[in-house]
Amino acid sequence: MFTAAAFCQAAGDAGIPVTNELVIAKCGACHTRDEHGIMQRISWERSTPEGWQEALKRMIVLDGVTITPPEARTLVGYLSTSHGLAPEEARPVMYDAERRIPDEDSIPYKIRNACTKCHSFARALSWRRSADDWKVFIDAHAAQFQVPHPEEIVAYLTKAAPLHTPAWDAWSAQNTKPPNITGRWLLTASLPGRGKYFGQIEVEAAGDDDYNTHAVLTSVNDGAELLRVGRSVVFGGYAWRGRSQGANAGEQKPDDPNNQTREALWIAPDQSMAEGRWFWGHYQEFGFNVKWRRPSKNPTLLLLDRASFKTGSQANRVRLIGDRFPVGATPADLNFGSGVTVKRVISNTVTEIDAEVDVAADAAIGRRDVTAFGSALSGAIAIYDRVDYVKVVPESSLAAFGDPTHPRGYQQFEAVGYQRGPDGRLHTPDDLDLGPLDPGDLTWSVQVFHEDDEVNKNVVGDVSATGFFTPAAQNPNANFDVWVTATAKDEKNKNGRPLTGKGYLVVTVPSYTFRGHRYVRDLDHWIDDGPATPGGH
Amino acid sequence: MKHTLLALFAIAAGFLVIPYSAYAHHGFAGFDRNSVVTYEGTVTDFHYVNPHSVVEFDVKDDKGQVQNWQGEMTSPSHLAPLGWKASSLEAGDHVTVSGYRAKNGRPTLWVTKIIANGKEMKIDWKD
Repeated sequence: MFTAAAFCQAAGDAGIPVTNELVIAKCGACHTRDEHGIMQRISWERSTPEGWQEALKRMIVLDGVTITPPEARTLVGYLSTSHGLAPEEARPVMYDAERRIPDEDSIPYKIRNACTKCHSFARALSWRRSADDWKVFIDAHAAQFQVPHPEEIVAYLTKAAPLHTPAWDAWSAQNTKPPNITGRWLLTASLPGRGKYFGQIEVEAAGDDDYNTHAVLTSVNDGAELLRVGRSVVFGGYAWRGRSQGANAGEQKPDDPNNQTREALWIAPDQSMAEGRWFWGHYQEFGFNVKWRRPSKNPTLLLLDRASFKTGSQANRVRLIGDRFPVGATPADLNFGSGVTVKRVISNTVTEIDAEVDVAADAAIGRRDVTAFGSALSGAIAIYDRVDYVKVVPESSLAAFGDPTHPRGYQQFEAVGYQRGPDGRLHTPDDLDLGPLDPGDLTWSVQVFHEDDEVNKNVVGDVSATGFFTPAAQNPNANFDVWVTATAKDEKNKNGRPLTGKGYLVVTVPSYTFRGHRYVRDLDHWIDDGPATPGGH
Repeated sequence: MKHTLLALFAIAAGFLVIPYSAYAHHGFAGFDRNSVVTYEGTVTDFHYVNPHSVVEFDVKDDKGQVQNWQGEMTSPSHLAPLGWKASSLEAGDHVTVSGYRAKNGRPTLWVTKIIANGKEMKIDWKD
């Protein structure tokens, strides 16, 4: 039984006792604690490291909590472990920590719309609360920010994000020792505009949940090697958060992959793999999509250097990247499925097989697995007979002009070929992704909405031959809607016109002033940065 | 990215003083809302994206000259509850599009009504 100090929580919700002395000392002045260790609010909440960090910042700014950086880290470490999310709960909202902007269309419109006017819905789903705590939180939020339909939001979140779940009960019982993540991992990555990478990363223990890293990445496209050194922390047994720096530090272009990156990864509960994003840029617009795998004793196929073959094509070169490949591979060691014949193995090392394949004219259209020495890579290659359309990705995006206090925000585009799927319609889930088109097979252009002259390029910015958009150097103090268009040089539509794809880009100002307050951009939202300074912004 | 960018787009469009171009993202000042025009044509592309979904379509005039038009609509967040999908329109579909034409004479309009292959597709646009 909880006392009245347990703050009228509904029956069925057992609070999580707080046992950390620093939390009790720093938070106890406001969050009273009963004889069972139940602290007001804190015992009825769970969240990610970012969630607790944000809560702590709020307490520092609004409630005058004084705390040193090492103490703050201890608090976040304790809370995101003892009052954290289970790995299965954290994975669906990892995009928030990874600073991505995905669709959130699975959330009911009315609920989502109330929250996402100010922040991603992932921020709400990064918390788990008791029914009473959701009500307290949403009521306060509704009063402060005029959130519509608070009762419906409380009902939704109480059901979708309860304090107690089977996943949390299992994880909190299991997560009693440090994760076993030191040693060598196989590393694959992709970087928009630069393609795929492969390599390895060594993880060394460096104290209580700290780790040093040394990574080597090789570009599949041009063989360039990246060396990265980093240091990270693991919160809650699976939440990797850190920084790394390329070896070629110094004066770097904004999109240089040697830039210092932040790292946010999700480590699988069985510690067999980890995945996430290494990102940088003023708006976190650049980033490697990263996956780690534990090495196997057996040959492992990690990736192919191409995404598709056309039916009837001959002598296609393809490189298979992996680990522990036996030297002396023969065509019989590789399998691309029926209708694709491995004609010969051109070269072979322990990490790479260079092969040549023919594709039959009647090979089945679709995605298929590829196998090397018994190691299968699911859906590794697409077989197609025509390109039906080109999609520019991201389909919708942001860039930003700079000013004396804000660097410019850039955007890398890619043009991906697609063949329509069996349903016969374009832009449906069964369409076949053929992979990015080679920049050499494309021309890129920008066009400001409703305009057709070249003058606007000087005002808004321009896109390079590799699809990299750079905003104009001068801030025109306006937002612009822009089409970024990729035109295929060889692929034509049924009317004989070159295939084109368009991405909708909005180029924004970096900040603006409204009713005496200055607003600045943070990823995909404007943040009130406080009163505008007289004579300033 | 169909929804989350919307907050930033909406706030930016509403609050900014826009000295450079009436069409910079993106109020309705650039459209003539005093009259509705209607054009019939063939879809050349459809973009189901934020901040505005856009249908591009070819219109043939009396002399047989073809001009490509851009019809702008609300965001997928508003269209999806009405049944819209990325595949709702595609190249080759026959459309009749009504809306407010751009004041500067460019072949652009803000769509208030659209009929595709003989069937009206609800937009629920309120002025």
